Amino acid sequence: MPTSFDDQKQLELTKRLVARTPIIQNACDLDLMAFLHRHPRALLTTEQLAGFVGYNLKEVAKALDSFIEAGLLARTTQQSMHAARMFVLLLGGRQGEGVKALLELGSMRVGRQSILEALDAHGTRPDQPDASPELRLVKRG
Amino acid sequence: MPGPDLVKTGIAGLDEILSGGIPRGNVILLEGAIGCGKTTLGVEFIYRGASQFGEPGVIVLFEVSPDKIIRDARCFGWDLRELERTGRLRIVFTSREVLWQELQQADSMLLEDAARIGARRIFIDGVPRLAGGNSNGTPDARSAFHVFTEGLHRENLTAVLAIEASAYHPGQNGSLPEESIADTVIRLRMEESQRAVSRSVEIVKSRGHDYQMGRHTFRIIDGLGLQVYRRVQAPRPGRDRAAAYDPTTRISTGVPGLDALANGGYFIGSTTVVAGISGVGKSVMGLQYIAEGARRGERSLMLSLDEQVQQILRNAASIGLDLPREIERGLLRLEYEPPQEIEVDAHFYHIEKLVEEFEPKRVVIDSLSTYGSSLGTQGRVFRDFFHALVALMKEHQIAAVYNHENPEMLGMGSMMGDFQMSSLVDNIILMNWAELGDTFRLGMTIAKMRGNPVNRVTHEVEILDGQGMRVLPRVLPVPAEQQPFSSYAGLVSRAPERRRFTDHADERRSRDRSRR
Repeated sequence: MPTSFDDQKQLELTKRLVARTPIIQNACDLDLMAFLHRHPRALLTTEQLAGFVGYNLKEVAKALDSFIEAGLLARTTQQSMHAARMFVLLLGGRQGEGVKALLELGSMRVGRQSILEALDAHGTRPDQPDASPELRLVKRG
Repeated sequence: MPGPDLVKTGIAGLDEILSGGIPRGNVILLEGAIGCGKTTLGVEFIYRGASQFGEPGVIVLFEVSPDKIIRDARCFGWDLRELERTGRLRIVFTSREVLWQELQQADSMLLEDAARIGARRIFIDGVPRLAGGNSNGTPDARSAFHVFTEGLHRENLTAVLAIEASAYHPGQNGSLPEESIADTVIRLRMEESQRAVSRSVEIVKSRGHDYQMGRHTFRIIDGLGLQVYRRVQAPRPGRDRAAAYDPTTRISTGVPGLDALANGGYFIGSTTVVAGISGVGKSVMGLQYIAEGARRGERSLMLSLDEQVQQILRNAASIGLDLPREIERGLLRLEYEPPQEIEVDAHFYHIEKLVEEFEPKRVVIDSLSTYGSSLGTQGRVFRDFFHALVALMKEHQIAAVYNHENPEMLGMGSMMGDFQMSSLVDNIILMNWAELGDTFRLGMTIAKMRGNPVNRVTHEVEILDGQGMRVLPRVLPVPAEQQPFSSYAGLVSRAPERRRFTDHADERRSRDRSRR
């Protein structure tokens, strides 16, 4: 819980930033996006990606799909001979700028914590399945 | 017959060693232990290709994240982000397993991605070792590596594959299996010497063109990247032939009285060593030599390992030489390099550049003995360095003077001490103290002057405050208690004594009489 005026202000700012980037819904989204930001052109299998970020395959696959759907990530199609796929991050436009700002904030431990708290406050953590329908709508839009 | 299509690395000094570059399509194995500079070399190869030679490139990484490579490249002034933005560079992060699999596929996604930007170069940082790095590699692993390189050949990519290899040691004959498959093998080393560490690069093999063998020093320089310095011993083709033959032009020594002893001065392109113990006036002689050059409008250069520039200027002022004025006129350059941890290849490179750019007619090196103590007089390093220096000066028709501190205070056991290089020297001037009565007096003997008559008579020399050095006339009206040098024998040897005869003819007559 925020303990001072400054902490409170920081949380408010973070909440606004989180609201601007509905594509990031939980810790897995945040960490996967941060990984892809550091490795914007990655030739890996989804299993390897999951291993790098430390989440289960299902969560990572879901996050990847949502990034692709939002136009923030391109992925080559699966071919039988190739286990790996090329993932290319596309952080253009307003949405991309918002993601970059969020990743910048999340690059410090305290910032990351603050983002997770803000996500938690919106009820979008994976352990809270009843996340705000409004936010989900924004995400798809 | 047209020469091979060479890919320039663009890395300062490396293309000279590679005789212009590496044949296009070669697979280059870049070996070296951790910290040798493999990643920097590979990234620079790609950067130079994309930014200078219109050859887009791909960097493949396994452990290092692309943002760190981009950040580190910025320290060298390389804007990789801009190259990415303009479609001249792709940085791909992958795993070794995926890469291994990819390059064995006819429709490799990686190579397709490379083709999309028209890539001509690829750098793979940290290629997996064969069969866990054993000495031979299993046949399967060898053929897998072969297939791997075939994938690169198929796209006609000139590929640098960095491999961490600490398997080779001096004297060990074993080689890595990858080495026999690769077209070019470049080995980077960190070499330790007396607690200092220097980097070196060696072209172990390179198919399809000529290259300079041996270990060449290199440095990683902020704001630039790699700078390779050719091994000082490596022959410079044409350098010896370039030295024009001029048997007439001489250069004044700048020391009153010395030109007369030296038949009018030093020949251009000649090598003169002034030997003597500390304090005899070698540096003073050098200062007068360069000041005389400036006075005559000739460019002069003094390289000092002993004294810093400000100290040299102060010393020059004490003998009445206004060197700052000559520096301002562009006729004089004073360069100081601290003698600690001299990397001989880099040091020689700097001298070479100075000579090529400043084009001096006179050069003073102060002093050879300091080089000796830095490089060691045993072994070939010092001798080869000196040989290269002499060849450089001759090529540029420079009359060079090298000061050499002879360790003996009285007398000289040998002219060049441990240096054993008098055969490379045209002129040797010995400076020495002679103890006469209770006074040390300064003597000078021209011991060697190649291509000139020389009488090897010792002359007295004096250095006066505000005036500098001059050679005194052989016979002087001197006070009764002080005899001229011509009254003594054995001045440069350890036992000067008064001559009993006024001249050599009397001495000979006396010897003849006693024989009879």
